[in-house]
Amino acid sequence: MAEINSYTVNFGPQHPAAHGVLRLVLEMEGEVVRRADPHIGLLHRATEKLAETKPYNQSIGYMDRLDYVSMMCNEHAYVLAIEKLLGITPPERAQYIRVMFDEITRILNHLLWIGAHGLDVGAMTVFLYAFKEREELMDCYEAVSGARMHATYYRPGGVYRDLPDTMPKYRSSEFRSEKNLKQMNEDREGNMLDFIEGFCSRFLVTVDEIETLLTDNRIWKQRLVDVAVVSPERALQLGFTGPMLRGSGVEWDLRRKRPYEVYDRMDFDIPVGTNGDCYDRYLIRMEELRQSVKIIRQCVEWLRRHEGPVMIQDHKVAPPSREEMKDDMESLIHHFKLFTEGYCPPEGEVYASIEAPKGEFGAYIVSDGANKPYRLKLRAPGFAHMAAMDELAKGHMLADVVTIMGTLDIVFGEVDR
Amino acid sequence: MQAVKSFFDTFLLTELLKGMKLTGKHLFEAKYTLEYPEEKAPQSPRFRGLHALRRYPNGEERCIACKLCEAVCPALAITIESEQRDDGTRRTTRYDIDLFKCIYCGFCEESCPVDSIVETRIHEYHFEQRGEQIIRKPELLAMGEKYEAQLAEDRMADAPYR
Amino acid sequence: MSAVVENTEKVSIEIDGQTVEVPKGASIIAVADELGIDIPRFCYHSKLSAPANCRMCLVDVEMGGRPVPKPLPACITTVAEGMVVRTASERALKAQQGVMEFLLINHPLDCPICDQGGECELQDLALGYGRSVSRFVERKRVVKDENLGPLIATEMTRCIHCTRCVRFLDEIAGTSELGAMHRGEHTEIGTLVGDGVHSELSGNIIDLCPVGALTSRPYRFTARAWEMTSHAGIAPHDCLGSNIELHQLRGRIKRVVPRDNEAINECWISDRDRFSYEGVVSEDRLLAPLLREGNQWHEVDWQTALEAVANALRDTVDAHGADAVGCLISPSATTEEMALHSLLMRALGSDNIDTRLQRADFRDGTSTEGFPGLETAFSKLDSQDVVLLIGAYPRHEQPLLNHRLRKAALAGGKVLAINPCGFDWNFDLAQQAIAHVGELPAVLAAVARVVAREKGTTEPAALAAWKAPTTVSSETIEKLAVIVAGEGKKTILLGALAEGHPAGAELRYLGALIAELSGAGYGALTPGANSAGAWLAGALPDRRADGSAANGLDAKAMLSDPRKAYVLHGLEPDHDLQDPQLAEQAFAAAEHVIAFSSWDTPALRQQASILLPLAAFGETAGTFVNANGHWQIFGGVGQPLGEARPGWRVLRVLGNILETPGFDYEAPDQIHAEVKAQAGEAAVARPSIENALTPLDASADMQRVGILGLYGVDALSRHAPSLQATDQAQPAEVVLNPADEVVKGLSEGDKVSVTQSAASQTFIVRFDNRVPVGSFWLPGGLENTAGLGPMNGPATLVAAGTSA
Repeated sequence: MAEINSYTVNFGPQHPAAHGVLRLVLEMEGEVVRRADPHIGLLHRATEKLAETKPYNQSIGYMDRLDYVSMMCNEHAYVLAIEKLLGITPPERAQYIRVMFDEITRILNHLLWIGAHGLDVGAMTVFLYAFKEREELMDCYEAVSGARMHATYYRPGGVYRDLPDTMPKYRSSEFRSEKNLKQMNEDREGNMLDFIEGFCSRFLVTVDEIETLLTDNRIWKQRLVDVAVVSPERALQLGFTGPMLRGSGVEWDLRRKRPYEVYDRMDFDIPVGTNGDCYDRYLIRMEELRQSVKIIRQCVEWLRRHEGPVMIQDHKVAPPSREEMKDDMESLIHHFKLFTEGYCPPEGEVYASIEAPKGEFGAYIVSDGANKPYRLKLRAPGFAHMAAMDELAKGHMLADVVTIMGTLDIVFGEVDR
Repeated sequence: MQAVKSFFDTFLLTELLKGMKLTGKHLFEAKYTLEYPEEKAPQSPRFRGLHALRRYPNGEERCIACKLCEAVCPALAITIESEQRDDGTRRTTRYDIDLFKCIYCGFCEESCPVDSIVETRIHEYHFEQRGEQIIRKPELLAMGEKYEAQLAEDRMADAPYR
Repeated sequence: MSAVVENTEKVSIEIDGQTVEVPKGASIIAVADELGIDIPRFCYHSKLSAPANCRMCLVDVEMGGRPVPKPLPACITTVAEGMVVRTASERALKAQQGVMEFLLINHPLDCPICDQGGECELQDLALGYGRSVSRFVERKRVVKDENLGPLIATEMTRCIHCTRCVRFLDEIAGTSELGAMHRGEHTEIGTLVGDGVHSELSGNIIDLCPVGALTSRPYRFTARAWEMTSHAGIAPHDCLGSNIELHQLRGRIKRVVPRDNEAINECWISDRDRFSYEGVVSEDRLLAPLLREGNQWHEVDWQTALEAVANALRDTVDAHGADAVGCLISPSATTEEMALHSLLMRALGSDNIDTRLQRADFRDGTSTEGFPGLETAFSKLDSQDVVLLIGAYPRHEQPLLNHRLRKAALAGGKVLAINPCGFDWNFDLAQQAIAHVGELPAVLAAVARVVAREKGTTEPAALAAWKAPTTVSSETIEKLAVIVAGEGKKTILLGALAEGHPAGAELRYLGALIAELSGAGYGALTPGANSAGAWLAGALPDRRADGSAANGLDAKAMLSDPRKAYVLHGLEPDHDLQDPQLAEQAFAAAEHVIAFSSWDTPALRQQASILLPLAAFGETAGTFVNANGHWQIFGGVGQPLGEARPGWRVLRVLGNILETPGFDYEAPDQIHAEVKAQAGEAAVARPSIENALTPLDASADMQRVGILGLYGVDALSRHAPSLQATDQAQPAEVVLNPADEVVKGLSEGDKVSVTQSAASQTFIVRFDNRVPVGSFWLPGGLENTAGLGPMNGPATLVAAGTSA
């Protein structure tokens, strides 16, 4: 009888479940994975090195393109690091806007994750429902920044522009009745905060619907429960953060443990898991959607009551308004110098991190006093999670590899950088 | 009690039927898809799409070749060459934007002291030939002329925030 | 005036918490600069006087434990024992911020269209020390612009009245062409008479201007400071080798600015060095190799062209012997090009190679001791007690060397001149002898006699050969010679008029003799950028690179005794040769004239048979050895235009085609290293005074006197449009002594025809009694002097009618 030898499978880099450009080399023994070896770097764009060649602000746009499903969160960590280096604090309103958009981003990220995870495991409908909601959140992105994804909205010292007082509306067309159009524009009649509030109330229903489709579903549970179990100790050792760590029962959330911006004023809960398997991590992310809505509502509430600047008034760092720039000399000079040379933070090194949807996203900057970073290092949560692939997949079936990849919530923009 | 419920759920497919009910409900709801391209999603006046160079109402081009946009462009997508025009003013002789390099961050528009380089609402475009991705000054100016009304309206709408 | 006054007495002061010992009498700002403490300033410049009129450098000072009631300007406050200075105290910062606000109220919102934007001191200091938002809402002042000429663009509304430009032209250029008019808010900087700025150093006020009021006209609006890359270079026009930075954008040189080198050019450069880069992109650049067939020129590729060159050289050597080949190289070619030409000629078997294109008298041959140049370091010139100029007008020949002499004169040194005519000096000469050009050797001999007498040495017997001069009084010679014989640091300098003098060898001999008798240093202000390099590379008929003697024909002999084939490198035959008439005849008789040139000129088309496009200044890498013996290496910037290629590359390939051994250089550094190894410890040497010379008879009816014009010294500056638009490059005029006989019936502005051998040209006449009777002044290198005979030699003057 011929002996069955292990054989090697190339999973990706062109595979629909590889979540981008992962090349996973699987050593199989029949249907069972003996070794999973992720080969990364296919999306390496040298973002860190690139940032060393340009003034600080010019790299903000590149941060969006790291974890390209949680754009503003990446910007946030980078901008926080610069602010720490400069020793400046953005105005309160800007901080609330940032918190609000961080949570909008978290919802964006988790919606994409649940949609893709569902597809991986075999549930089609969730994907459609999730993407419908994402559209509205991307409308929010567009309304403030002009871009639906790569916003470049956060700036050292605040955010680029205040929230608009109107939301763009659907135009009438031959396909829509007056009534239908009115209904579609219902949420868009007021200002942006009204729109977000409208979204929040609708969205909680959607979360429930997604849970109806998945949480008790026997196929979903068969695919997720007891797959890729990580003990709390091991999760810490592996450098897990975010839902990956909380899924194992460790209550660790930077928003609570190391509050930045105005998170210390927010009322929200941190969900933790008990088993540390894929199912727990799914439950945690679903709960985080609800908690995010809770935080967004608090921000909307505050922002409605408080007007004020969204950018610091120090023109050595933040450009003057266009009106000022066009009619006074000092402002014009500051505008000119900021857009050509930028600003020079003092020498030193800083690390700033935020609770990104995927875990701890951090930016470490070394400044030599020049107008560009001497060194920028980004801490991407996905990188540590990806590194655990072998340990998580070992002993599972080939089909489970897809589940595990889904639960890791990998995006190669940030892993490869 | 829980165990009994769970026992019956197992062969009555309760949770699957609940899900079917939900999707069934959505099947008969109004569709939220749009009839693209006849119908389009709303666009913000801040939208950052394809670039254009604007002119003053008297027809004079706004751009004064200060090169702030070229300096601030993180992707080095803008190339400008300038000279003194016969009337003594500072003007560009070349203004190229490489749309493959451009990351649509909007910094060029932010930096422009005369509101010359702007980003329009156009986001549907394509190239058929290699090299077409570099749009040059005449094309940019033509774009500005064509969409001036919309551009002016959008800048006006956003003026209080900038 | 200087940054830190040289004073051995020290005082102890405290500045920003540091206690330091500083020279007594130094200004606070100079001390702070030494320590690296930033004090904002606009009007202060370490090379200029401190007027304290911008008030930006206000600092907090405490004397004897008591604070001075008001902040003091750091640029004119001198340090004193026990002084405590706070440059960044709240009061100082507030004062600086106040000054900044006042400076900005009248500054126009021009940054986006201003060439200074991005490198503007006003912007930098406004960012560092000013407010972020203006409080000024009133109308701003507007000032009318003035036309300062083709080199400097003005935007006087931007002026902040620091008066650096005014002080530069007063104190450094010595022309006082700008001044400040009116008072207070109505202050305006201008020329008063609206005549523009003509100084040969005027471009430096562009660098000095802290704002965009004075900018470069050729560079206007073409680039931004931040987008250009900077490359170190060496100016190719004179024997100083001023250090420059070439600013390049997308492969093209956009501007040239000075690079500090206290030993050579300090922080200045001449306009010639600054604006000549325009010649690199001039419209008449030679862009492809050209071959002549009959009267038709054909564009060919390099391979064809170089094979044609190789065949021409081989055929000539085969048919007429190697001696029938001659090679003439511009003295501003790189050492590497000279070395390869020298190797190539010697491999062919010919020693006919020379770079001394303007020399008329070769009787003294070449020194075997060392290269021609200055024994005195450039940086020591400004502290000389006596400088004797012989046949030299350094203001046009080496503008920055002239600046050193001016400094010496202002510091009490005595600058003397023995010239064939008077010049517009920008300092006072202690004594001047203007002799008829034919009598210059006689004047020198007379001076030597007095020096010998003063020094108490026996008069060298050789001096008896020269008669006593008649055009200079013996009192003048006596006074001048007594100064030369006196005590102190002394230098004798021979310039272009001595180089081109028909009896130049006598001048060099007598100059060296006077130096010997008086104990002065000797110096030759050599033509071009690289005359020393030519000696080192063996590009001379009587010296090979390895130092061995040879016996080739010199530049003049090659032309007066025509060869069958000529190789010309980087020169324009109608301007750069001592006798263009002679050259034209020689080239017409030759079978092959192979010209390496960066520019395609009518004269080359007419006289050459093969034209090879040469990379121009900046496009090629190489080495210049200046007159002090500094080897200065520079790199190439961008790609040469068209098919033009660096000379060393072309010569290397030509060497390979001719199967010359050893021509396998891959970089100019290898050639450099080879020349340097062979040169060893070579240094500047003065002409030998062992073999006496017998005087020539130079008594023609009318003698032309001239040097190459300020902007006509070489092909590069002749092709730079902005330099050619200046007053100094306007068509040459004949300058005559009003007492001269030929002048009879002529008045200023009339036309006169100058004839030298076969060539004749009409010029406008000007009168000046500083030109001796029997000679007239007519410079060379200008458009209307092309193709005439020698700049220093006999000529016939005939009236040619009155001007309209």
